Amino acid sequence: MSWFTRTASSSLGKKYIMALTGLLLGGFLVVHAAGNTTIFFGRSVFLFYASHLHALGIAVAVAEVLLLALFLTHAITGLLLFVENRRARTSRYAVCSSAGGRTWGSATMPYTGMIILAFLFLHLVNFRFIDHGVTIADIVAAVLARPLYTVLYGAGLGALTLHVSHGFWSLFQSAGISHPKYDRFIRISAWLVCGLIITVFAAILLLLLVNSNQLS
Amino acid sequence: MMKLDAKIPDGPLAGKWDRCRFESRLVSPANKRKFQVLVVGTGLAGASAAATLAELGYQVKAFCIQDSPRRAHSIAAQGGINAAKNYQNDGDSVFRLFYDTIKGGDFRAREANVYRLAQVSNNIIDQCVAQGVPFAREYGGTLANRSFGGAQVSRTFYARGQTGQQLLLGAYSAMMRQVAAGRVTLYPRREMMDLVLIDGKAKGIVCRNLVSGHIERYSGHAVVLATGGYGNVYFLSTNAMASNVTAAWRAYKRGAGFANPAFVQIHPTCIPVHGDYQSKLTLMSESLRNDGRVWVPGKTGDTRKPQDIPEAERDYYLERKYPSFGNLVPRDVASRNAKEVCDQGRGVGDTGLAVYLDFRDAIQRDGIEVILKKYGNLFQMYERITAQDPGSQPMMIYPAVHYAMGGLWVDYNLMGTIPGLFVLGEANFSDHGANRLGASALMQGLADGYFILPYTIGHYLAEAGAAALSTDDAAFAGVEEEAGRRIAALLKNRGTGKKGLETVDALHRRLGLLLWDHCGMARNREGLEKALALIPELRQEFWDRVAVPGSGQELNQSLERAGRVADFMEFAEIMVQDALAREESCGCHLRDESQTAEHEALRDDANFSHVAVWEYAGEGRPAVLHREPLAFENVTPSQRSYK
Amino acid sequence: MAAKTITLNLKIWRQAGAGASGRFEAYRLERLDTDMSFPEMLDVLNERLTLEGREPVAFDHDCREGICGMCGAVVDGIAHGPAKETTLCQLHLRHFQDGQTLTIEPFRAKAFPVVKDLVVDRSALDRVIQAGGFISVNTGSAPDANGIPVPQHKAEQAMDAAACIGCGACIASCPNAAAMLFVGAKISQLALLPQGELEREQRALAMVQAMDREGFGNCTNQRECEAVCPKGISIRNIARLNREFLRAAFIGEPLK
Repeated sequence: MSWFTRTASSSLGKKYIMALTGLLLGGFLVVHAAGNTTIFFGRSVFLFYASHLHALGIAVAVAEVLLLALFLTHAITGLLLFVENRRARTSRYAVCSSAGGRTWGSATMPYTGMIILAFLFLHLVNFRFIDHGVTIADIVAAVLARPLYTVLYGAGLGALTLHVSHGFWSLFQSAGISHPKYDRFIRISAWLVCGLIITVFAAILLLLLVNSNQLS
Repeated sequence: MMKLDAKIPDGPLAGKWDRCRFESRLVSPANKRKFQVLVVGTGLAGASAAATLAELGYQVKAFCIQDSPRRAHSIAAQGGINAAKNYQNDGDSVFRLFYDTIKGGDFRAREANVYRLAQVSNNIIDQCVAQGVPFAREYGGTLANRSFGGAQVSRTFYARGQTGQQLLLGAYSAMMRQVAAGRVTLYPRREMMDLVLIDGKAKGIVCRNLVSGHIERYSGHAVVLATGGYGNVYFLSTNAMASNVTAAWRAYKRGAGFANPAFVQIHPTCIPVHGDYQSKLTLMSESLRNDGRVWVPGKTGDTRKPQDIPEAERDYYLERKYPSFGNLVPRDVASRNAKEVCDQGRGVGDTGLAVYLDFRDAIQRDGIEVILKKYGNLFQMYERITAQDPGSQPMMIYPAVHYAMGGLWVDYNLMGTIPGLFVLGEANFSDHGANRLGASALMQGLADGYFILPYTIGHYLAEAGAAALSTDDAAFAGVEEEAGRRIAALLKNRGTGKKGLETVDALHRRLGLLLWDHCGMARNREGLEKALALIPELRQEFWDRVAVPGSGQELNQSLERAGRVADFMEFAEIMVQDALAREESCGCHLRDESQTAEHEALRDDANFSHVAVWEYAGEGRPAVLHREPLAFENVTPSQRSYK
Repeated sequence: MAAKTITLNLKIWRQAGAGASGRFEAYRLERLDTDMSFPEMLDVLNERLTLEGREPVAFDHDCREGICGMCGAVVDGIAHGPAKETTLCQLHLRHFQDGQTLTIEPFRAKAFPVVKDLVVDRSALDRVIQAGGFISVNTGSAPDANGIPVPQHKAEQAMDAAACIGCGACIASCPNAAAMLFVGAKISQLALLPQGELEREQRALAMVQAMDREGFGNCTNQRECEAVCPKGISIRNIARLNREFLRAAFIGEPLK
């Protein structure tokens, strides 16, 4: 085995992969959220953003492939960790309580991850693999005007919140970035970034549910 | 008939160790791997010896009773380790450390051994620092030192209150490195059951695998015992639960001389006993006496709370009796005086077996922050155990059995009276005389293992040769059979439904109490003779009534304890005999009959300036006393006075 | 130290041997002094079982002053019980209520097979240390102890990490049975000291490799280890391990 595969397949290597792909996926989320803020400004701004994005042509395709690779790597490595970690304790405790370390976010990472994965399929089915005869604005407006989708998207968003609440801090820890000098900064910025993304997405959901004319 | 030849090299004191090393035969590097050494015990002495021997190229098998060598009871030493580095430029030297140690031992140790200990003390610090032991440092990055146990120079190196732990982990890691290198084979959860002699030489051991219960044979060209002290003979002591005398006792019964078994140090600052269920005593570092003041109520039967007792009605008895040393008198003096005031009915607490150690004045003088900075971890430890805060009310302390100065007799080369049997650390008797100074136990354990045995064992091995080893010898079979019989005897009451059985701990507790009462801090002929009469009765009772459930073919902790207690029951007898034979007070050993007019210990150099060595004479026959005279050519024995 | 007594109901894991299947057995102990420590309570139970001709509960313990790391069990789901920074042997019954029921289980991890009852085999930790938890210096070849100054704060941090007693509670409490705090503490101690500098890369690679080989789980930064550690060792040491390993992977010599 080369040093690289040996590193990547070690327990710490898998953590680095999770941290790195997590960071990049987080970056995608930020860009995605930023792009989606155009919805707040109405149909024309949103379509302007969409058309410019698609005008990038091959770059979009490349980005999509990269993004898919990121997701797959993150999800597969995560599943691998999940399975390995289950196997590391063959007999379970009869009583299982927390001494105060874990949080809701940290304890549910694999599960929120799986929910997010499921949500992604829905999301892609809704907006990616569809008939592009109508504008994206109409599709978005149509889907998110239905309360069922608001609930489903809300659930996905909830899972994402929990996932990122642990994931963002965790990736710094996994990368070995921890020091009394900037620990607080990392923790606070983790919450801020997480909060910002969630707020944007949540606001879009609510806006489109309440105001069906936002994108028309 | 046992011959005691200490093999001390000739020549001036400072050159003896050099001379010994020069005159020792060497094993050539290529031949070292042909020798197999068995090291029993993996505390400071055992682990350091195993690591160093393996580094030299010997093949080592290391045995420990716990699940990992890192758990040996060396780990519990808090205070520190002495060395004559003189980093503080305060007048320390090898000779001063030597002098303090031999004087602290009340002139009952060999000059040559103690001098060598002081000489190698400096190498120990170098070695441990290089291993990554995180000793306390000054701001500039140099090593910090403190004065410990009333020493007048600051020569004690420390790693918070965990010096023993850190030194042990250093030795353990060095040994683990050799395990990885294939030169040390580790045998955890093994208990040595007996020593195997072939042609009068130590050639192997028989162990019990504590998990499977199998009796296993191991052969080696030499056997090194580093099995610690026997303080648990008293049942309650600061020793770990598994600390025992079995390995040393088995060696004794195979012909090794046992030296000064009566010399047991009773440490003055322990948390008092608080109930019948109590299994062990916890030591509080004696550094507490630097700022704490020891007192009891002036009159007997005073049940008021400490804070309600006015200053005039308190008796700061150490300050009153020993104005120049006050609360910093040596351990034995502090312990004896605590017992005395409690015997007078002035003890405090629920049991009346405790004295106060009060920080009120120190807190008023320096402020609570300063005191907590020095003793915070000890205060926490005390509060965790007793649920009382020493910052707001005085601590209660009482003496407890702590360290065995006595042990298997060894010559200057650390070899016992059986050729090929080497004994290190607390298990031997060599360096502390009748009393051990604070921060010297760690020093001795590591000196023996890192810097003395690796030289002296080579001399023995070079002479003895690397003959082929085998565990098929009839000697092994015989010893193994005996071990099996002993286990069967311990289990004989199992499932019989016999009435009136007692548990191992209950019987052990009775033995401990008997020794504490009659062979504790102060001893007299009458009490010792009484104990000598009672011990065989108790021993008989033990064998008749001990309840040991389970079988010998599994992990059986009751059986393990029973085996150890069985040996304590025998060992107690020579301990008391030794105390009886030593009709003087010296170091930790106070004979009521040998006191000054002021009730202070009175040593008798004319008749007792010797090491008392006991030889096993066979079952049912009294042990034979031999004496190794002690010669003092470089220091003049003086009476200790702390007035 | 007023004597207060309580009654406790114990549900203790009993398992005859490594391969045997285990089960819980219930015991009721009355008039227990609250100044009693946890192992002393087990002593009381074992004395009773012995006199009744039954098998006592096997449990590991030795120093009973919180430093040897031999003791350990999971009490009501928490390794070493409910008191913070406390080993099982230093846990006193005053932390429990009269009439309380306690479930006592062995440390559970694939890498810590049960030997009997509450006794587990933690030799995996020794093997991880054998892989590199040392500084390679032979006896006798050390330079003068003051030859290499060590900044005080570094020495203190190294001591914080070195305080690990190797009890395994971090692994027992980790939802993934990961050994990162144990390994991180040793890596940190030696990486913080100039004496350990020379081997830091090899050490990080070798110890992580050994850790993985032993079947410990992967760290997911859940911080349970830190919460139960009787010596209060911080997960900052895990971050340092992550850093050391990353550094070693990219710029260190590969393991032979």
